[in-house]
Amino acid sequence: MDTTAQPQYDNGVVKYLTVGAIVFLVIGTFFGTFAASQLAWPALNFDIAEITFARLRVMHTNTVIFAFGGMTLMATAFYTVQRTNGVKLWSNSMAWWTAILFTIGLLLTVVSISLGMTTGKEYHEQEWPLAIAIAVVWTMYTFNFVMTIAIRNKETHSHVYVSNWFFLGMMIAITYLYVVNGLAIPVSLFRSYSMFAGVQDAMIQWWWGHNAVGFFLTAGFLAIMYYFVPKQAQRPIYSYRLSVIHFWALMFGYVWLGAHHLQYTALPDWTGSLGAVISLAMIIPSWGGALNGMLTLSGAWDRLRTDYILRFLIISLAFYAMSTFEGPVMAAKTVNALSHYTDWTVGHVHSGALGWVAMVSIGALYHMVMKLWKTEMYSMQLINFHFWLATIGTVFYIVAMWVSGIMQGLMWRAYDEYGTLAYTFAESVAAMHPYYAMRAFGGLLFFSGAVVMLYNVVMTIRMANARASKPVEATA
Amino acid sequence: MAGHNPWPDEGNTGHIWDEDLRELDNPPPLWWMLSFYAGFIMIIFYTLYYPTIPLTNNSGEFTKGLTGWTAIEEYKEDFQVLKDWRVAKFADKEEQLAAMSVADILKDDELKQYAVATSKVLFGDYCAACHGAGGAGNPNFPVLADDDWLWGGNVAQIEASIKNGRIGNMPARGMMGNLTDEEIDSVTDYVIALSEGKGNDAAFAAGKAVYAKGMCLACHGPMGKPLAPAGAANLTDQVWRFSSDREQIRNVIANGVNVKKNGEYIEGTRQAIMPAFKERLPNADVNVKRLAVYIHQLGGGQ
Amino acid sequence: MSNHDDKPTNWQDGVERNIFALFLATALAVSIAGIVEIVPLFYLKSAVDYTEQTDKYGNAKNEKFPELVWERTFTEDAEGKIVSEKALYKFDKNGKPMMADWKAGDGVRPYTPLELAGRDLYLREGCYICHSQMIRPFRDERERYGHFSLATESMYDHPMQWGSKRTGPDLARLGGKYSDEWHVMHLLRPQDLVPESVMPAYPWLAERQVSEDFFGTERDMKKRLSVMRTLGVPYTDWEIENANKAIEGYTEMDAMVAYLQVLGTMVKLDDSKVYRQ
Ligand code: HEC
Ligand code: HEC
Ligand code: HEC
Ligand code: HEM
Ligand code: HEM
Ligand SMILES: [Ca+2]
Ligand SMILES: [Ca+2]
Ligand SMILES: [Cu+2]
Repeated sequence: MDTTAQPQYDNGVVKYLTVGAIVFLVIGTFFGTFAASQLAWPALNFDIAEITFARLRVMHTNTVIFAFGGMTLMATAFYTVQRTNGVKLWSNSMAWWTAILFTIGLLLTVVSISLGMTTGKEYHEQEWPLAIAIAVVWTMYTFNFVMTIAIRNKETHSHVYVSNWFFLGMMIAITYLYVVNGLAIPVSLFRSYSMFAGVQDAMIQWWWGHNAVGFFLTAGFLAIMYYFVPKQAQRPIYSYRLSVIHFWALMFGYVWLGAHHLQYTALPDWTGSLGAVISLAMIIPSWGGALNGMLTLSGAWDRLRTDYILRFLIISLAFYAMSTFEGPVMAAKTVNALSHYTDWTVGHVHSGALGWVAMVSIGALYHMVMKLWKTEMYSMQLINFHFWLATIGTVFYIVAMWVSGIMQGLMWRAYDEYGTLAYTFAESVAAMHPYYAMRAFGGLLFFSGAVVMLYNVVMTIRMANARASKPVEATA
Repeated sequence: MAGHNPWPDEGNTGHIWDEDLRELDNPPPLWWMLSFYAGFIMIIFYTLYYPTIPLTNNSGEFTKGLTGWTAIEEYKEDFQVLKDWRVAKFADKEEQLAAMSVADILKDDELKQYAVATSKVLFGDYCAACHGAGGAGNPNFPVLADDDWLWGGNVAQIEASIKNGRIGNMPARGMMGNLTDEEIDSVTDYVIALSEGKGNDAAFAAGKAVYAKGMCLACHGPMGKPLAPAGAANLTDQVWRFSSDREQIRNVIANGVNVKKNGEYIEGTRQAIMPAFKERLPNADVNVKRLAVYIHQLGGGQ
Repeated sequence: MSNHDDKPTNWQDGVERNIFALFLATALAVSIAGIVEIVPLFYLKSAVDYTEQTDKYGNAKNEKFPELVWERTFTEDAEGKIVSEKALYKFDKNGKPMMADWKAGDGVRPYTPLELAGRDLYLREGCYICHSQMIRPFRDERERYGHFSLATESMYDHPMQWGSKRTGPDLARLGGKYSDEWHVMHLLRPQDLVPESVMPAYPWLAERQVSEDFFGTERDMKKRLSVMRTLGVPYTDWEIENANKAIEGYTEMDAMVAYLQVLGTMVKLDDSKVYRQ
């Protein structure tokens, strides 16, 4: 193969998705910071139905997970699948339709939730018309991805690169679980009733719910890790065999975990126990990914001093390792008895969501911006600044939630010297105030970092476009 | 392509993607592999210990682990530990609470202290939402920490209030429902005068007459002080059950309390419902007494 | 080590070369867990405390713990309408809906139209984001909230509202704890009653008619009850036909309070009995 021949890739849609992801990061973390502030200062609900805490929180989760996370996954998948298979997208126009419809679908989701249209199922709040649209768009995305791999030149690209395995696993599992969990009968354009009720509904709900985490927020972002970490570090993947083992362990294992969200509930004990035991067993496969990434970097440690993008990638792996240790611990019965229903869960969520998902995405997005617009960043110092805002913000957030979560759990179950409950529920609410304020502050830092990123990227693109105005870019 | 491997000596698998992406053929670290296998062993032990198998026996129960652990067993044991501890430490007291009347409990200082000390969270979780922290009252809900009682401040009456709940009833526009707007205005002024100790001033004679016409005295007593507590407010003190605002007082007289027509509350009527707790509270038999003692000592028990 | 010969050297090498094989293998790997964990919940009786739905009408009964469900039988009358010997609700002489043959403690029953409308609002406002409806078998939860929750209690909940976070207290056994008046005041301004509360205020509930849905469309309870019946929640034809009348004249606040007041009141559980294995 002539390594100097640069295949021309479909970059327009990737550019669009990259910028879109950053914009949604700003919006989503704004919603998060706003929601966090409402819990610290409830007057910020302003008695406006559309932004009361509960609705804003669901707008937050949908924006950060599905809009920001989803667009990052689409941008990176379309970017890497072309490069690791040496071909253009199977259908560039289909990719554009996917990107545009996904944007519209997510914007409508946020608006409809703010108006109060919701299925009432956590992480699956879109009502049926939007849910169907999103399932269709997701299938288009999957199909295009698979076909792009299928049309690769098998002479030059005999094997499918590991990041593609993870993308593929994510796409399959998400389609399957999302559709089953979403089965419902409409009663109006804005409302449907879930096909399932009670215990069955709960199990199906968390079978999906956990795997929105396990596949969307983990497998998909591991795919990102497997491309961008070796690229940015310019080092080979440390161990092919490790990739293989932990890939299959995750694909098979993660799907069992949903029941750890339902321990001690009205479900029969065997479900919760199954969820818990496989969760415990998932520490090591999860760490397989983190380890492979870290060992890939070893040998490039010195570059951390100068390469700020690499910093985002490495810290994301550290947080990934941490949250996939914390998660299984929280799945253990005795711990879950304490942590369930408390802010500890929220702390765990954000050590994964901020520390892992957002950080690895940010690293990949910066990398892509430079490659796609063939330029250096407008300001490397701002990336460094962003790095510290994001890291310190995340630490504030999760430390606050650990303290408040454990305190909450302990206060609820505490008995005094007479053997009667020691605290009223209201006392536990009051005790959370300082930590809610601290979390809001951490969120503000993280959000500010996202704004800095958007500014830096916009300036970079303007700079690149100005420079390139002689030989015109195909699509902007 | 293997022939074009620009990194022949680093030990990669020979596949290269996107110019420089390649994988080394390193084995996974040993500790990782060992832990991975340990995971399987852990799964085996765990599934033996806890119920994990979705199969049932003849009587329809799911398959338990070797130890027979179930969440409910754990719960019962846990609760038993607490109960045993209470028995070991306070059995005498709990038994006394269960056996004695509230009046007798009050006579025993130590027992009283104990009942009060064990009531704090009970009151906080079940009562404070209405009666405020420490019984200080909330808008529309009576203060329990004073000596002004609607239904009576002796312990038996307090106990009855908690056990069975209370519903205050006051007709709209007087007993016969026939007071005119002007009459309501003047009786409102009279009621306010009563609370200020000026009930006998000549200026309020008209209101006093309306008070008689409306048969307010049937409940509130001839001079605004109920003869026996039966839900009606004492009108001669500065303690207002609902509000000291003139408009609000007038409203109570015009629309009454808990007045229903055709099964629905009439517009503007005050609602005053104290739920019954005899089934609601955990361990209700004892806890109702405990709370009665607690409330009695808040300030105004008689 | 895999190589570049045309023949795959092993199974893994094979799926890495063939994207469709990889697709199928992955799809298979992710399917197992759901089959093992979910499917048995649909047929093992112990999964719902031995409560069963026995016929095409959705008739529910529980032979082991009869007190858990409100049993009534359904038949078809001469015109083919589904009727039952016991009625869920009826109208009093003023045309106001009221409970008919069921009283608190008689066992789990379908929601009345007003309660179901209130439940829709509970979802709309996202109360489940802060409130759980699932009491776990722990001694502190028993003392604070009441008897632990049973599967039967949410058998008609499409979808369930167990929640995953307690920013506010559990509501599974809320019914009867407070008066209607308290709920109205609390929803209008929680901090007036509980100063430390972080719960938002919901003043608009008192201003809107519950019969009205999004963008001025009708909240069609008839449709909703009949969809519920399709899903196995047993209602008679009369109950479905009169569902819209049963919410007429009520505000959203009334509906919400009706729902909150029924929570946990359907079954009367006995602490000395073991309902769950
Ligand atoms: C839903 C709100 C609410 C709750 C909860 C509540 N109360 Fe009450 N309570 C009231 C109202 C309203 C009244 C006045 C009833 C009336 O006016 O007839 C009252 C009256 C009383 C009285 C009689 C006061 C008097 O002046 O005679 C006592 C005693 C009392 N409550 C104790 C308690 C205790 C103890 C609890 C907790 C176990 C409790 N309440 C929970 C609303 C409530
Ligand atoms: C059938 C009994 C009854 C009659 C007759 C009656 N009331 Fe009352 N009234 C009550 C009760 C009961 C309450 C307190 C309700 C509660 O707190 O639950 C009350 C409360 C009040 C209050 C509010 C006091 C406060 O502290 O906020 C006023 C003022 C009042 N009554 C005035 C009158 C007047 C004036 C009349 C005659 C026109 C009258 N009542 C007739 C039973 C009665
Ligand atoms: C921001 C979180 C939040 C949201 C959203 C929320 N609540 Fe609450 N809720 C609380 C907190 C905190 C408390 C405890 C303090 C209090 O009683 O206000 C509470 C208490 C309650 C209580 C009293 C429970 C008891 O046993 O004392 C009820 C009833 C209630 N909420 C109903 C609702 C309903 C209905 C909604 C939706 C319309 C809702 N809540 C939305 C946080 C919330
Ligand atoms: C092996 C890895 C992991 C395991 C076993 C695990 C386990 C858990 C457990 C036990 C809970 C609490 C359930 C409860 O008590 O309600 C939880 C919640 C959660 N976790 Fe993880 N976790 C893992 C990794 C991650 C990662 C990497 C993320 C990334 C974002 C994540 C996101 C979440 C989310 C969003 C929730 C909240 C679910 C809810 O809404 O209640 N988890 N996880
Ligand atoms: C500025 C940054 C952020 C802030 C301040 C923030 C704040 C919040 C707040 C206040 C909640 C509600 C917690 C509660 O109910 O008590 C929440 C929930 C959640 N957030 Fe964030 N968030 C941020 C970023 C993110 C990101 C980037 C992601 C995902 C990639 C994310 C995923 C989630 C999820 C999954 C939940 C639901 C957790 C649960 O149900 O347990 N958040 N966030
Ligand atoms: Ca008083
Ligand atoms: Ca949650
Ligand atoms: Cu999970």
